[in-house]
Amino acid sequence: MNPPNPTTVAASPPETPPSRRAIRLPKDRHAIVDNFFRFQSLFGLVAVFLIAIAVSPSRNGENVFLSSGNLANIVRAVSEIGIIAVGMTFVILIGGIDLSVGAVLGLAAVGSATLMVDSGLGIVPTVLIVLFIGTAFGATQGAIVARIGIQSFIVTLAGLQAARGIARMWSGGLGIPIAYGEGPQEAPEAFSLLSGSINGVLPVPALIFLAIGVGALLVLRSTAFARHVYAIGGNEKAARLSGVPVRRVRVTVFAISGLLAALAGIIHAGQLNQGSPNDGAGYELDAIAAVVIGGTSLAGGSGSMGGTIAGALLLGILNNILALNNIDANVQLVVKGLVIVAAAALQRLRPRIA
Amino acid sequence: MTDRPLVRMTGIGKRFGGVHACRDIDLTVTAGEVHALLGENGAGKSTLINVLSGVITEHDGTIEVDGEPVSFAGPADAQRAGIATIHQELDLVAGLSIAENMFLGREPRTRLGTVDIRRMRRQAEAHLRTLGADLDPRRLVGSLRVGEQQLVEIGRALSLRARVLIMDEPTAALADAEVERLFATIAELRRAGVGIVYISHRMAEIELIADRVTVLRNGTVAGTVDPRLASREDIIQLMVGRSVDALFGEGRNEPGDVLLDVRGLAVTPRRPVPGRTEPAGVDLTVRSGEIVGLAGLMGAGRTELLETLFGAGGSGRRVGQVTIGDRPYRPGGPRAALARGVAFVPEDRRGAGLMLEHSVADNVVLSALSSLTTLGLVRRPLLRRTVAEQLTTLAVKAASPSIPVATLSGGNQQKIVFAKQLLRRPRLLLLDEPTRGVDIGAKAEIYHLLHRLADSGMAILLASSELPELLSLCDRVVVLHRGRTVAMLPRASATQQAILAAANGDDVKESR
Repeated sequence: MNPPNPTTVAASPPETPPSRRAIRLPKDRHAIVDNFFRFQSLFGLVAVFLIAIAVSPSRNGENVFLSSGNLANIVRAVSEIGIIAVGMTFVILIGGIDLSVGAVLGLAAVGSATLMVDSGLGIVPTVLIVLFIGTAFGATQGAIVARIGIQSFIVTLAGLQAARGIARMWSGGLGIPIAYGEGPQEAPEAFSLLSGSINGVLPVPALIFLAIGVGALLVLRSTAFARHVYAIGGNEKAARLSGVPVRRVRVTVFAISGLLAALAGIIHAGQLNQGSPNDGAGYELDAIAAVVIGGTSLAGGSGSMGGTIAGALLLGILNNILALNNIDANVQLVVKGLVIVAAAALQRLRPRIA
Repeated sequence: MTDRPLVRMTGIGKRFGGVHACRDIDLTVTAGEVHALLGENGAGKSTLINVLSGVITEHDGTIEVDGEPVSFAGPADAQRAGIATIHQELDLVAGLSIAENMFLGREPRTRLGTVDIRRMRRQAEAHLRTLGADLDPRRLVGSLRVGEQQLVEIGRALSLRARVLIMDEPTAALADAEVERLFATIAELRRAGVGIVYISHRMAEIELIADRVTVLRNGTVAGTVDPRLASREDIIQLMVGRSVDALFGEGRNEPGDVLLDVRGLAVTPRRPVPGRTEPAGVDLTVRSGEIVGLAGLMGAGRTELLETLFGAGGSGRRVGQVTIGDRPYRPGGPRAALARGVAFVPEDRRGAGLMLEHSVADNVVLSALSSLTTLGLVRRPLLRRTVAEQLTTLAVKAASPSIPVATLSGGNQQKIVFAKQLLRRPRLLLLDEPTRGVDIGAKAEIYHLLHRLADSGMAILLASSELPELLSLCDRVVVLHRGRTVAMLPRASATQQAILAAANGDDVKESR
């Protein structure tokens, strides 16, 4: 049953075929409301930012939250989850989920430490090998999802276990500290750049996050690949019948997620100067939270990369301001939960069809 | 038949935003009558039905049941008042049995509070018998054909002691044999004093079973007529407000060379799916510029044949020869099919044809993206131009290409599916029930479009369960029975009787 639709009836009288002029964005109240919901996470981000300024403690008359050191801390803290969330956005857009990213991060961190410290490899081969491992891991999961048709929740749940197991076997179950220097059992000095900042202001991980985020934003906006991603999430069957290479896109999307999780793992190792097989536990849930707060539908087919980036930043600011006010970490968790529910509730309010 | 109506709706009106979906509508349903409701999409039928079935609770006007004014707070209220609705998209749970579906939410209980399965089965069986349906109430609804599922819905309505039954396009998904059975059921219900509100786009049906016809146009009643006294033309004129000349175009070009040649095509599926009839010996040819119809009962394998030809069927062993042009054709999937110039418009446009929440533009360009991109990047201006051209060519009525497809009427949605497939400039167009759920105006436009495409040299293979459509539109009709070609009738010898006889498996040896 079709609900009668005022827009179509009103906009073009049946006698005249739609002319070029008729084909424009409707500039009416619906569009405004629609845009509010589309950029909901951005509004949320601004609101949380303003609230944070208001409730921030001050030291020597200076707003602690707004201090450059604190802002740098926020973006640094956010960057790993943010990079993972970018990959997660692709996966969720096709209607899937990737629970393995936290474990892949741990595997990548262990890999980075082991390859440099124990195997004595340089930075470039280490990074390439680790990124390859992450990509291959993701692609394998994607292939299982696409070929055998098991739900991605299950496949990546299994992948999570497997990646953790591999990481533990590889590291002997212990964290591997990274010492820098020229000697044996020492990693190249340059790797420690990951814990540094550019001009002492912009942390390197944040810069990487920025680059990845902007890149993904552009990919999602203007590539045929992105349209295929949205199409599969919107209606897989219709996408397949329209000639979309559904399997290939699936595999690619999971490969991207694995690649970005591995990248986050390398950054993680560089920031903490060690690789532990337990690194990244629970990160997958934070990444999913960032995507959801960003307004991407878990059902697939709708959402945006900008939303995810805003969602990740929002979570970071929230954690930061609660910590600045010495609020108990457990309370922080509860607040985070409430924000996720609020974001999802706002999405429900969005007029389905304007 | 009594004179006092079961239901009297007076002055019903409903606005959505600033637009009247319906205004000042009067409608009565008396016991034992079939009251047909006609109108183009957007004429207000759905709104009126939603008011009567309690889905829309805020509206103008009054509803009386048995002379008592009522107001429904929801569908449950309407059901309690004896008004049941059978929606076009059936409200059944595929994973539950027939009996469980019939009594969903009101399962009979034993003294211990558990479900009284035996009683439920017995009652379900009784209702099915009343409907003349020989079905085991333990069967899963998902394993039933659409026609059988509909009987389950009607059975549920009976178990609710419904006195008014609203049927929204009940025959849309049925093959002719099943339609006959449905009509027999309706006659039975009518004898039992049930009042039926019957919505359909098919004029022939309405002439057959309706006692009264109310025609809606632009949200108001355009007229109520007795179908035995009014001509079909009169009714159509009431519907569209103008007379529709020649719904079916004439004067076609001569077809060209054979484009699609199918010989002895049979598929043995690797994993047989219940309810699917894979091709089991199909022979047919389609020449370029020719429209060939595919007839057959429900389950004759029409959809499965089209899917196989598009590479979208299930995997399995294939025998027989298929050639397109002069080259053998074995599509590994829809991509390969599209690359060979074969396009497919599926039957289930919401489930398989469109991304409903996505914009018109996104849907239109989906299968032709490769021609609109450079190095994987979408060329937006070109895309916009292409979409605009395509929408103009097909006369799609949409406020803008950026609105979601879900907001369009059925006919316009179907045109979007066409637009998407035609962007690939196919040589062979496979159509599965292309006018299902499409109102008469849009239907005529689609027929004209098909003629235009055929005249431009496209080969068209069209499956339809509407015989008049096949007879008037097609140059030849191929009849399938249990996955096999049983007849190939040229236009001259294709009659309803000949097609039906062949479809039922009677021995027909027409010209091959």
